Amino acid sequence: MLRDASFRRGLKDSALIFLAVGSFGLFYGVLAVDAGLSQTLTIVSSVVIVSGAAQFAMVGLLATGAAPVLIAATGLGLRHLPMSATLSRLIGPRHVFTRLRMAFILVDETFGLTVRAAAAGVTDLVAYKTAADLMLYSSWIIGTTVGVMLGSAIDPVAVGIDVLFGLLFLGLAAPFIRSRRDRVVAGTAIACTLIAIEVLPTAWQLTTAAGAASLIGTFLHE
Amino acid sequence: MNDLWLILAVAAITYASRVAFLLRPRPVPGGLVGRFLDVFPLALFMAIATSGLGAPGGRIAATPGLAAAVGGVVGAIAFRRSLWGVLAVGGALFYLARWAL
Repeated sequence: MLRDASFRRGLKDSALIFLAVGSFGLFYGVLAVDAGLSQTLTIVSSVVIVSGAAQFAMVGLLATGAAPVLIAATGLGLRHLPMSATLSRLIGPRHVFTRLRMAFILVDETFGLTVRAAAAGVTDLVAYKTAADLMLYSSWIIGTTVGVMLGSAIDPVAVGIDVLFGLLFLGLAAPFIRSRRDRVVAGTAIACTLIAIEVLPTAWQLTTAAGAASLIGTFLHE
Repeated sequence: MNDLWLILAVAAITYASRVAFLLRPRPVPGGLVGRFLDVFPLALFMAIATSGLGAPGGRIAATPGLAAAVGGVVGAIAFRRSLWGVLAVGGALFYLARWAL
C-alpha cells in the first residue's frame, strides 16, 4: 500500500486532519466522561460510531433518554446520503467489501479531501481515501483515549465544561450559516429552544426546538 | 436502553446512512424532505448551543455563558466560521466574565 502514490498522497494530505481530529477526540473523551458515559464505553463509541456530530449530540442528549438521541442520530445521519451518492459516483464500480469499507468512515473531512483529490486528478481514489480514513480513525481513537484519561482528572464546574460544550456546538453550527434562510433557522432554533426549556419536559426540549426550526426552514427559499 | 445498546444503535443508524447509496445508487431525497434534512443539523446544533450557553443547569439565566455566546459569534465572524475561532474568543470572554463577576 505504501508504494501506491495515491495512498501516500492521502497520508500526506490528511496530516493536518490527524492533529485537528485528535484534538476533537480529546475534547469528546473529556465531555463524554463528564456526561456520565463510562471510560470503556466512551472509547467504544469512538471505535464503532466514528462521527463527531453524532457522538457529541449523543453525549449532549444522554440525560434526556434514548428516543431523543436516536432521533438526533437519524437526523444527523441523513445528511450522509448525498455524500454517499457522490462518493459512489467518484469511485465507480467496486467490490462490495470495498464499498462497505468506504462507507464506515464517510465523514466531512475525508469526504472533502477525496472530492478535492478527484478534481486534482488522483488516479486511485479508494487508496487515497483509505489512507485519509486510517489517519482520521487512528487520531479520533487516540484523542478520545487521552481525553478519557484526562476527563476524570478535570473538575467540570471549575473548567465551565457546559459552557465550552455550548460553544463547541455554536462552532459546529457556524459553517452551516450561509444564507438568509440559514440565519432565520438559527434564530428560530434559539427562540424555540428558550421557549421549549420553559414549557416542555427535558427529554423533548432540544429535538422539538430543532424540529420546529427545521420545519420553518423547509418552507423558506434560500 | 442501556448505554452500550444506545451506542450500538447510533452506530447502526450512522453506518446505514453512510452505506445506503454506496451499496445501491438511488436518487437523493429532494423536495420538502430534502430541504428539511438540509437545515436539520444547523437547527439541532443551535438548539444544543442555546441550551448550554443560555440555560446552563436547565434554567434560563444571565450567566457568563451569555458572554461566551457573544464571544463565539464574534469569533465566528472574525475567523470566517472557524470552530477554533469560536472556541478561542468565546472561551476567552467566558473566563473574563466569570473572573469579573
